[in-house]
Amino acid sequence: MNIDYSKELPIVQGRLSLGELEDLIAKPMSEKPTPKYYIALAITLTLLMIGATSLGFTFYYGTGVWGNNQPVGWAFDIVNFVFCVGIGHAGTLISAILFLLRQKWRTAIARFAEAMTIFAVMCAGIFPAVHTGRPWLDGWLLPYPNQHGLWVNFTSPLLWDVFAVSTYFTVSAVFWYIGLIPDFAVMRDRTTGKVKKFLYSLFSLGWRHSHRNWQHYEKSYVILAGFATPLVLSVHTIVSFDFAVSIIPGWHTTIFPPYFVAGAIFSGFAMVVTVLVFVRKVFDLENIITIDHLEKMNKVILATGMMVGYAYAMEFFIAWYSGVQFETFVFINRAFGPYAWAYWIMVSCNVIFPQFFWFKKLRRSIPVMMVIVIFVNVGMWFERFVITVTSLHRDFLPSSWGYYVPTIFDFGILIGSFGLFFTLVLLFVKAMPVVAISEIKAVADGAQPTHHGGDH
Amino acid sequence: MATKEMSYVKKELPGKILNIGIALLAIGLIVGAFGLLLDPTRAKFSYLLGFFYLLTIGMGSLFLISLEYVVNADWSTPIRRIPEFFAATVPLFIVVAIPLFFFIHDLYHWSHTDAVSSDALLKLKEPYLNITFFVIRVVATFVIWALYYFFIVRNSRKQDETRDQKLTKRNIVASAIFIPVFAITITFSAIDWMMSLEPHWFSTIYGVYVFSGTMLAGLAATTLAVVLLKDNGYLHPKMTNDHLSSLGGLLFGFVNFWAYIAFSQFLLIWYANLPEETFWFIDRWEGMWGAITLTLIVVHFLVPYALLLPAPAKKDPKRLKFAAVWILVAHLLDLYWLIMPQYHGEKSGLHYILTEFGFPIAAIGVLIIVFYFNFKKHNAVPVGDPKLDRGLNFRL
Amino acid sequence: MERNTKLHGLVALFDTPDQIIHAAEKVSHSGYKDFDIHTPYPVHGMDDAMKLKPSKLGYVTLVFGLSGAAFALLLMWWTMVVDYPMNIGGKPFFSLPAFIPVTFELTVLFATLATVIGMITFFFRFPDNKHPLHDTPYMQQVSRDKYGVFIGASDPKFNAKEVRALFESLGGKQISEIMEFEKTWQDAFNPKFIGILVTTVILVSGGTYFTLNKLLYITPFNWMEHQFRGVPQEKSDFFADSRMMREPVAGSVARGHMPYEFKDSVAQPADPLENPLVNSAEVFRLGQKKYLTFCSPCHGNYGDGDSRLNQQFPNPPSLHTAKLREWKDGNIYHVITNGQNVMPSYSHQMTVKERWAVVSYIRALQKAKNASETEIEQFRKENTSNGN
Repeated sequence: MNIDYSKELPIVQGRLSLGELEDLIAKPMSEKPTPKYYIALAITLTLLMIGATSLGFTFYYGTGVWGNNQPVGWAFDIVNFVFCVGIGHAGTLISAILFLLRQKWRTAIARFAEAMTIFAVMCAGIFPAVHTGRPWLDGWLLPYPNQHGLWVNFTSPLLWDVFAVSTYFTVSAVFWYIGLIPDFAVMRDRTTGKVKKFLYSLFSLGWRHSHRNWQHYEKSYVILAGFATPLVLSVHTIVSFDFAVSIIPGWHTTIFPPYFVAGAIFSGFAMVVTVLVFVRKVFDLENIITIDHLEKMNKVILATGMMVGYAYAMEFFIAWYSGVQFETFVFINRAFGPYAWAYWIMVSCNVIFPQFFWFKKLRRSIPVMMVIVIFVNVGMWFERFVITVTSLHRDFLPSSWGYYVPTIFDFGILIGSFGLFFTLVLLFVKAMPVVAISEIKAVADGAQPTHHGGDH
Repeated sequence: MATKEMSYVKKELPGKILNIGIALLAIGLIVGAFGLLLDPTRAKFSYLLGFFYLLTIGMGSLFLISLEYVVNADWSTPIRRIPEFFAATVPLFIVVAIPLFFFIHDLYHWSHTDAVSSDALLKLKEPYLNITFFVIRVVATFVIWALYYFFIVRNSRKQDETRDQKLTKRNIVASAIFIPVFAITITFSAIDWMMSLEPHWFSTIYGVYVFSGTMLAGLAATTLAVVLLKDNGYLHPKMTNDHLSSLGGLLFGFVNFWAYIAFSQFLLIWYANLPEETFWFIDRWEGMWGAITLTLIVVHFLVPYALLLPAPAKKDPKRLKFAAVWILVAHLLDLYWLIMPQYHGEKSGLHYILTEFGFPIAAIGVLIIVFYFNFKKHNAVPVGDPKLDRGLNFRL
Repeated sequence: MERNTKLHGLVALFDTPDQIIHAAEKVSHSGYKDFDIHTPYPVHGMDDAMKLKPSKLGYVTLVFGLSGAAFALLLMWWTMVVDYPMNIGGKPFFSLPAFIPVTFELTVLFATLATVIGMITFFFRFPDNKHPLHDTPYMQQVSRDKYGVFIGASDPKFNAKEVRALFESLGGKQISEIMEFEKTWQDAFNPKFIGILVTTVILVSGGTYFTLNKLLYITPFNWMEHQFRGVPQEKSDFFADSRMMREPVAGSVARGHMPYEFKDSVAQPADPLENPLVNSAEVFRLGQKKYLTFCSPCHGNYGDGDSRLNQQFPNPPSLHTAKLREWKDGNIYHVITNGQNVMPSYSHQMTVKERWAVVSYIRALQKAKNASETEIEQFRKENTSNGN
């Protein structure tokens, strides 16, 4: 297939008019849900209930029902936490970083990815909150003047996490909401239902599409994108600090911050592709979320997958080069010790399978990309598992060696987090426009004046 | 389209530029040679500094080209020739590096077999840190870089005449393959040339750190040249300040990226406080090095950050020019901070310090001379590139 | 209540972005100030066409971002250095590298929230769902795919005819009037608004109270407050006799307790104990203190038996009788310890040492009352010769 490099690829295919675009995106919200939707919702709610039950047991009996024990004191909780936060990062990357890089194709997927960010961070929040043991006292994590006369420890990376994740959640939610305001106004002006009209009016705050507002609005969008970009880096960097500021071999290595960020984007893109493939099919959005967009995301997956591979290689090389025997031991133990199975799942899923994306045909094939992105999701979950568990399970003394086995409650909470995530996704696609209506209109063919500002 | 067709007309640079380049090269070499007489070991370290300054600017530019192809960027197409001209220094690396092979025993502790035999750690690293393997790695790296450079530049120039879109496609494929190769080669170049100056020290992020500086150096050099050439009408007349804004934005981004990587490396080592890692930073904190480290933070991060933060600054040619020069100087300071603390010389004095900048000045001279001749021989705008029109019409 | 309406402004619709840019240029060029362009998405080049000044939103961000950073650093400095300094990992109290992450996060949080809240409230004057343009056919079309221009009636240049002519000359369609309700003073006392305000106040303050004082409250050292312990004089569920105060085990001896061999013997012992104390100012002071507390109420301040209880009670005897002066120290001690006649035992009120001190003091009183002239002379001499 020959590409004409002198022309830009159209963002929207099928030459849809502005009104047609709007109708297409607004359709799921004006129609009654089909039985299929209810079946899907029933499945995700079941998963959610499994998680809720497991959490109930954890609340009642304490974290002792988990598999964590000496020497593996951190296990599924932190693995799931890092995994969920990582998934969230793709949303911010698409909405903020690609915006700053002026990648117009982001428009079609930004809203959806941002929503996934928020839901993923909500899921992520469960794990550290429960792992504190007495989650009802988690408010103590915040520094407020209290009758104990105590303050939180600002030099602890776990506290940095509290600030990073809560700031990340707040800023992502605000960013998302700012993007939604004009769309709520569009929905307000389209809808006929009284309740819907009231709700959309309430959330649109009275937006009037005035250009005097658009001017500040665009400025605020640039500012928010400018802040969200370093923020997203900082969040996974701080998550990596949870491990890397310690002196545990396998955790203490300087490449962790960029390596974690790359891994987060990698897994996040994989999750976005996984879900988008269904969404574009179910809601007939193939002309808006085009195969070109999916291909671009697959390229990002390939690139970030190789960055992650680079980090694996550097860790191994430096573990040998450093001459620190503990460091060397941990890495040999990772690859050939009792958890070798997890390690090789990680390497094959994260480094080997994405290599298929070198080929254009495979990048553009929906079934192939589905298989690969699911492998990537699995692989990235195992990456966190490998980092956490294999570094801990053999302590410095052989007397404190152990083998971590998760319990049914560990799995239950993991399943529940997926249940929460997909339940929220399902509710979202029915309640709000999954594509930013005003943004997609702005990049449609013929939407912008033919003579640019500076030319005359 | 526009009423009257504005198109690129090739203009030649005044010979003054060449004279400046030759003068800088001569001054640099003379000062450097003087340094060799004063304090030979110190001068050899400063030769490495000059060499790496050249290498990072050249490789940063080469990487910019490959990045443009891979991400299919259009805004940078009208200015792609500028990094191509800077990257013309890449094939020269092997020549410039020859003296370093003779300096190897003065620079690298691990090259002494007697030192290795009495040091358990060095003995362990011997399979990697030995002269034969070092030379093989270095030469192989330079050859790969040069091959890629020749391939991509030949296609780019051929396109000026043929306007064949297949050439773009070939360059995209080559660049996609080159980027992972570049990641590995720049990392091991950094480890080989600079990190192994202190063979006991190690850091997994080191390659990324040097990459961030390399990228910044290539960008700053490109920005400076683009602003100067555009102001004087050497580039395509349809280029606007919006193109500059992209360069400014990237500069700003990579200033932050450098700070992020540098801070990550420092924080993790400072926090864990393991003696096998901290001594490297202690070397850069004791005595006058503390002042240099603090200066580096100000010069390499705070000042360029403040300079490039406002949106208008990224578009303004004057401010951009200043920021680019500033960053080029800051990058030299960064390399100085990486390399020179490893030289534990006793002699001190202003003239010793001044001679250290001889070879970096010579490196700038080399860059200017190479740039001049390439500019003379080739179009400064890739007139045959299919993305050129798209790039020229780029607006914010 | 019937409300009056008046003209808010005139609107016209256009079909293409080129037309609206042209219209915006013409309208702003004609000198109108109170005009606006409504488009379903931001149209490029409109800022210039409308002659808008660059948005000042960035200054809000800058100010609040810097405040966020300053707040974070000050908070950490005050908590970690001033209020509760702790040695953590041997790092300095003010560990700047470790403070960078939180400083960064708070900078971002302050800057973004301030930008968004500032934009919505001060720049947009939102929420505003009662604007005259809402629910007009005009708004519904610019919300979808049309481009609208509006000129307000409050503009000093506004003239309905001229504006209509201008719109027509630009090719505007569906030119129409927008009406608005006149504002009245009651608007500020809208019961809905007051209700929302009150509800918000109650929810916020109640929520804060509940979170801080109930949910997150923990009494300091609750493991001490709730431990099992015996309270004297209280009922016990634990002991069979339901008394919390326990008898000592039979035969137990208190620490430092010295048994008195003539305990409870009414008759004076034939061979009483010797006073173990050596006379000293300290002993006399102690004896005086105890004597004045326990003995003087009956025996009088100087042992004359002349206290205010005289004549109201069996008269307490004087301590200066010949019988008492001839008693050995042990006899007096015996009486204090065991009591005599109506005098009770003072062994619970005074320790052994204190009782002996009282004995010494009584001896001193007796001496003072019966001293000879020469002894007094002697005493005075000694005191003056000491230089006092």
